[in-house]
Amino acid sequence: MTTTLRQTTLETIDLGTVRDIFANGALPVSVDGAVDAVFGPADSRGALVISGANGIVGSGKAMQFGSRLQPYGVPIVALDLPSAPDGISKHYGGLVRAFGRDGADAIMQSIVRVSYDGATLPADLDRYNPRFLLEAIPEILDIKRGHYELFRGRYPEIEIRSVTSGFPSRELGVGIAHPAFPHEINKIYEIVEDETSDVTRLLWALGLQPMRVSDDWSFVLDVLFCGVTLAGLRYHDASNMPFWKIDKHVRRLLGPNPFRAHDAIGAKGADFLTWSCLHHLAENYGEVFRPTPTLDERKETGAEWYPPNHFRPLVDWSLDADADNDLRTWLYGPIFQMTTLMLQEKRSHLAQMNLIGEQCAQFRSGTLAMMRNAGADAVIDIVERYQALHPAAVGAAWHPDTLDAIESAEWQQLYVNAEHDGQVGVLTIGREAYNHDVDAELNRAIDWLKAADIDRVILTGDFHLAGQLVGADTSNFFPALEDTDAGFGVSNDWSRTARRLNDDFATSVGFINGKRCLGGMLELMVHCHYLVSADDATLGFPEVTLPVVPGMEGCHWPFRRTDGDGHARLMQMLLSGRLVSGTKAAGWLVDAAGPVEECLALVWSLATDGDHGLERRPLHADALSGVPTDVPDLVPGAPAVEAARKAIVDCVQGSCGVPLVDAVDVQSRHSADFMVTDTCRRGAVGAEATKTLDV
Amino acid sequence: MLGEARIPYGTWGSSYFPAWQTSALAEVNIGQFAGESMARIMGLRGVPKSELEYLVIGSTVPYHWKFWTAPMIASLMGKRLPGFHIEQACATGLQAIIQGANEVAIGSHDVVGVLTFDRTSDSPVGVFPERRSYQRTVPIADVWDNFGFDPVTGQAMLNTGGNAARKYKLDRREVDDLTFHRYEQYFNAKESGFLDRVMVPLDLLTVQGKKLGTIDADLGVRMITRESLAAQRELDTCVTSGTQTHASDGMATLLVCNKDRVADLSKRPEIQISVVAKAEVRVNPAFMPEAPAMAVKKLLDRTGLTMDDMAVVKDHNPFAVNDAIFAKVLDYDWREMNKTGCSLVWGHPQGPTLTRIVIEALEEAVDLGGGYVLVFGCAAGDVGIAAVLKVEG
Repeated sequence: MTTTLRQTTLETIDLGTVRDIFANGALPVSVDGAVDAVFGPADSRGALVISGANGIVGSGKAMQFGSRLQPYGVPIVALDLPSAPDGISKHYGGLVRAFGRDGADAIMQSIVRVSYDGATLPADLDRYNPRFLLEAIPEILDIKRGHYELFRGRYPEIEIRSVTSGFPSRELGVGIAHPAFPHEINKIYEIVEDETSDVTRLLWALGLQPMRVSDDWSFVLDVLFCGVTLAGLRYHDASNMPFWKIDKHVRRLLGPNPFRAHDAIGAKGADFLTWSCLHHLAENYGEVFRPTPTLDERKETGAEWYPPNHFRPLVDWSLDADADNDLRTWLYGPIFQMTTLMLQEKRSHLAQMNLIGEQCAQFRSGTLAMMRNAGADAVIDIVERYQALHPAAVGAAWHPDTLDAIESAEWQQLYVNAEHDGQVGVLTIGREAYNHDVDAELNRAIDWLKAADIDRVILTGDFHLAGQLVGADTSNFFPALEDTDAGFGVSNDWSRTARRLNDDFATSVGFINGKRCLGGMLELMVHCHYLVSADDATLGFPEVTLPVVPGMEGCHWPFRRTDGDGHARLMQMLLSGRLVSGTKAAGWLVDAAGPVEECLALVWSLATDGDHGLERRPLHADALSGVPTDVPDLVPGAPAVEAARKAIVDCVQGSCGVPLVDAVDVQSRHSADFMVTDTCRRGAVGAEATKTLDV
Repeated sequence: MLGEARIPYGTWGSSYFPAWQTSALAEVNIGQFAGESMARIMGLRGVPKSELEYLVIGSTVPYHWKFWTAPMIASLMGKRLPGFHIEQACATGLQAIIQGANEVAIGSHDVVGVLTFDRTSDSPVGVFPERRSYQRTVPIADVWDNFGFDPVTGQAMLNTGGNAARKYKLDRREVDDLTFHRYEQYFNAKESGFLDRVMVPLDLLTVQGKKLGTIDADLGVRMITRESLAAQRELDTCVTSGTQTHASDGMATLLVCNKDRVADLSKRPEIQISVVAKAEVRVNPAFMPEAPAMAVKKLLDRTGLTMDDMAVVKDHNPFAVNDAIFAKVLDYDWREMNKTGCSLVWGHPQGPTLTRIVIEALEEAVDLGGGYVLVFGCAAGDVGIAAVLKVEG
């Protein structure tokens, strides 16, 4: 029996626990099986039809599914009106970049473009045997319903999912698979269905991220995205601040640029969608969601929110402390209030609700993480202050009681979960970038396992929310650009958490699944006693390209677990920023690599002390000697890269040259010292800090 | 009185007026600057621009895309309003307010924005192809060539000062004393913090979004000495560099509304500000500095008010001789007017000059507990304009 710190997100789509995946040595759904279930067997494969395929959603999804289903012989029928401007071809360049010219050609060849008049389906469609319709046509209820009737009339068994951003399934009469911008890349789908379907299993098996949400207006994503847009609009109405400036402050305080996003998506369509979502939300939940007259107007005009180039903003807007306080109230207040509505309606698993905000609405920190960190009293206070500014919001859709559970594991473990069966524990990370929240949650999860006397543990992604582990959340480094104590603190604290994987367990096994494991996440993983990687995962230390100096012991810990040849390879990685595959990293950076299902069995064997045949690589606690100081034939880089290389070499030499017990402070000092240099400030982290904070 | 029209207290503001070519304003589209600044000022005053129904703009120097006038400026403010552009040289800033009040008084709109602006720096050069003209094609630098040549009289603005000074037999020493007094008044007002209540510092951006400059002072204005005034060469009778204003750039704005809306817009709704009357005159050609005095005389005649009724007297005085003549014509002590500054000192961007004067005068009147406010000025060679406003409560 598996005990979980909080419900796994996989369980929300009936895929069990992560521990079960390892114990079973297999993923719960195979792609082959899922494709067969949705499209029929290989000798009679049906097609995926995407209607509205030239639109921004339809064309993006044609690319996403085309690239994944082409190897399985599933044609994508791109259906649209004859007058629709071509939205498919413009993706070709992106496909070439991602898959090469041959790959792109193959994907494009699997996409069949078909025109129809909107009222009748072309007879030619039959030859493709449509099995699954992904509807991406305009957000008008009657048109959508008529569209479904059209398909059901011809193909009674067809599975239909709507990409609607607002209408509940009960209004449409079909299931929902609501995706997020940018559609060719974003893997998240909000799913509304009574039981986990073959379509949902297929999405998961294809590496997408289906997230079950309740059948309520606008689900989760568009409550947040439209909500933050509305918050900006209300502040605009109250202050006259122009949209471009509000965007800067929203980015500073929350993360997204809602108005820029509308323009980038295409104001004409996006304005209408936002208005539609808010209009229906207001009809159902009251004035807190009511579109403002400005949005009413733009719904009609489709006008862009940013001024044209010849009227680029001229007069700046500064805020004094009181005005900044007001702004925070106008922005945080409605978002927090709307979030309590979603909590009240149990719209989704809390970790998913939080992550949808981050991955789809570009919140730097999910709303639940923000609310949890602020505390229930502060949240209530800010919502009440907002309601004082906007009295119409009082009463409607405000559920402060939902904050009573703020100390529960569901709230407190938004990013890191833990499971155990009494013998083996599993720590799962559900966030792609390591940050202070992940760090705190990882510590709590370790504490939870220790309290259950678990001393064998697997550390991995969560097979759901984190499709990859890309490193540290560099927004957490912003204070370190000005203050070496802050830099030392973040490096040292996170390193000490990572060391718990080595110190607190008899056996710890890291498993790298997914596409990538980079930077801070890789530094975390290498602290495990064993590290196993999927063969096609890519690993790397790209810090030199930012540039920063790795701060979670990447400059000495992996060196202590390998020899001279490994040292040279590690230096090559650190100084070039180049990535290596799991296969190529075996023996010096990871202990083993292979196909995923083989890895699952190996990891379980390692964690249960089975017959795995691997020797644990020792960790040299004494000062190391002979660590190389350079990499032969390294192509000279720009001055910033060369400065970072020198700093990294110094850090490697310094931290390897002392005993393990002292190395953490040495590494943190090097990392922190580099963070305040002009080289670092002028680099990617500094630029991002300026863009975010300098409004 | 213009019926139901009121100027809600505090719903106003002006940029500082940096002297021409001294600030970032020399580098921008002044219409865009004015529109965006009005939104900023109204925001600072707690007035959502959604309250506005109409926009009266006033400016005299062409700017890029001027063809589109008030509707474009309103869009740049962020609110798609209908509106109208009016213009009559240096009288523009007062007439725009009157026009705003008229729009309310006749019931067209309940809340009207008044926005005046001009940039004398780098004023555009117009090319006038006229085949039957004595010159086939005439290029004219809008500000400087027009200042230098009144096409009706052939005289320069500056000469109207000399003409009027000779007519009224003004004493150069008195004009210098008057000028020195005006500088003292301005700097006293500045030191007292008075200007901080009506002027709004504004930061400007480059097209890349970096800081271009800050408009937070009447750049170019320095305290003057009697000696330096006396030492200056006369350009015409009693007119020196020191006793005339200077060209500058800037904007000013205020609201006019129906009296029923004052409580919604003003943080001090107990203060009622109304436009009582207005007069305009033309005097003999090229005698501009006496025109304001004549306009005031006409205004007093028509209203039955006297100078003793006035709590605040303030004027646009491009030449110090304007005030000296006014004092003679109205038998009024020039020391008793322009107590918080005037355009002789802080400069003259044309369109917004009289709007700023009205704003400062109203603020001064509120400080005094109310009363009649007399505002006047000259324009275009021989025009005088004057208005009386009333501050109550």
